[in-house]
Order: sequence, then C-alpha cells, then structure tokens
Amino acid sequence: MFDPCAKCEEVLQPFLDRELSDAEIAEAESHLDECTYCRKRYKFEEKLRMYVRLACAEEMPPDLKAKLAALRTPLY
Amino acid sequence: MSDGSTPETDARRIAEGERERARFEEEVLELADQVYRVARRLVSTREEAEDLVQETYARAFRSWRSYTPGTNLRAWIFRILTNLNIDRGRREQRAPATQPIEEGDYFLYNRLEAETGADDEERIVERLSQDGIVDALSAVPHDFRDVIVLVDIGDFTYQDAAQILDIPIGTVMSRLHRGRRILKQQLAEAAVGEA
Repeated sequence: MFDPCAKCEEVLQPFLDRELSDAEIAEAESHLDECTYCRKRYKFEEKLRMYVRLACAEEMPPDLKAKLAALRTPLY
Repeated sequence: MSDGSTPETDARRIAEGERERARFEEEVLELADQVYRVARRLVSTREEAEDLVQETYARAFRSWRSYTPGTNLRAWIFRILTNLNIDRGRREQRAPATQPIEEGDYFLYNRLEAETGADDEERIVERLSQDGIVDALSAVPHDFRDVIVLVDIGDFTYQDAAQILDIPIGTVMSRLHRGRRILKQQLAEAAVGEA
C-alpha cells in the first residue's frame, strides 16, 4: 500500500482522458517520470479503463440495423 | 411580389431537400453501432437497449431539420439518446456512500494487490472478470454512469459529454471522478467476494 499523492489526484483523470493541454501533459509526464507511486497508479488506471471498455463493448444485434433503416422516411 | 418560384424550381427544391434528408439519414445510420454500444450500458437489458435505440432513431429521423449541418452529428444523436433515456422515467438513485478520498480511490488497487500478492498492474487488473466489470458498471447510479459511458465507451470529450447531458463541464468531471470511484469500489467488493 502506498501513500496517496496529491499531485496524482489532480492530474490523473484529465491526463488519462486526454483532456490536458500540451504544457500540462509535459508537466504530468515529468511528474510520472519521477514519482513511482503515481506511475503505478497511472498504469493501473489505464489498464482498468481499457478493460472496462473491452468488457462493456457489446455488438449491436444484426437485425437491429435493418429495423433502424426501416424507420427511415420513405422517398416519395 | 412573386418570389420567383415556378413549378420547376419548387420541384428542384423539394428534390434537393429529399436528397439532403437521405444523406442525413445515411450518416446517422452509420453511427448505429456506437449508439447501441452506449445505449446498452445506459440500460439494464438488451431488449431495453434495442427499444431505446429504435426510439432514438425514430425521433432523429422525425426531427432531422433541427440538426444544423456541419455541427457535431454524434453529439446531436447521443443527446437524443440520453434525453429519451431520462424521459423513460428512470428512477432517481442515490449514490452509495463512498470511502473517504484517502482510501476510496485506492480501494480497488489495494484490495486486489493484497489479494493477489502481485505487484504488477496488468496482472492485478486481469484478476477482474468481464461479467464482474459489466455488473459493477450497471450498479453505478445513472447520473454517474451516464458520464462514464459517454466518456469511456462513447469516446466523447468532457465538452461533448457536457453538451449531450446539458450539464456544466465541471459537473462532468466531478461525476466522472465520483462514478469511477463507485465503480472501483463495486469491483473491489466483487473481487473480494469471489475469492
């Protein structure tokens, strides 16, 4: 178990969501380079997000697209 | 004064309008996979998701004139989707109590690390099952889940998610943060329960 890092709290979420400016990204990356704790957390969160995305991706049932196309306005 | 319209120009205008509409409908249909993927995680069952997507498309096709060409079509259709989902009378849910910040955000990592004895982030995350993740996400209250689903599964920016849900961007960020903490808490509890 590690001690929480205040810097990590502040930048981790927008950094992972690619919402930081270039300058902020550079600052976050330099922090990750020097902070083992944040680096571990960052990797964990990144993996977790990827897993959530993969686990929750469910393909559209094949007949649904045809049903949606049938809702289109008929051409006169 | 005449507006210069003749039966020929009227017919041309109507034909052009029809072509524009057909183009719009095709573009919206191309987004159907993405719309379904997000809808599936906003509601509990596959049937509900299919109904919601069909309602979304029926409304989109009806109100196509309210879309301004050149603006963000994805955001436009997802806004219809999330509004319809809210209109479907979903229940207001109270967010479960989360752990205090010091522990809460590290809850899952600490639990999994303690349990697996692993010190490798990938192996720790691999401990989670697909069903466990799906169940944990569905247990996150709607307001928080909507934001997670739009950003993590729909790939929307904070700004787009704010526009779609008609909430300030700061609220997107705070709900995302809180929602992910709830998700991790659910996952931690499930992972420990399975052990």
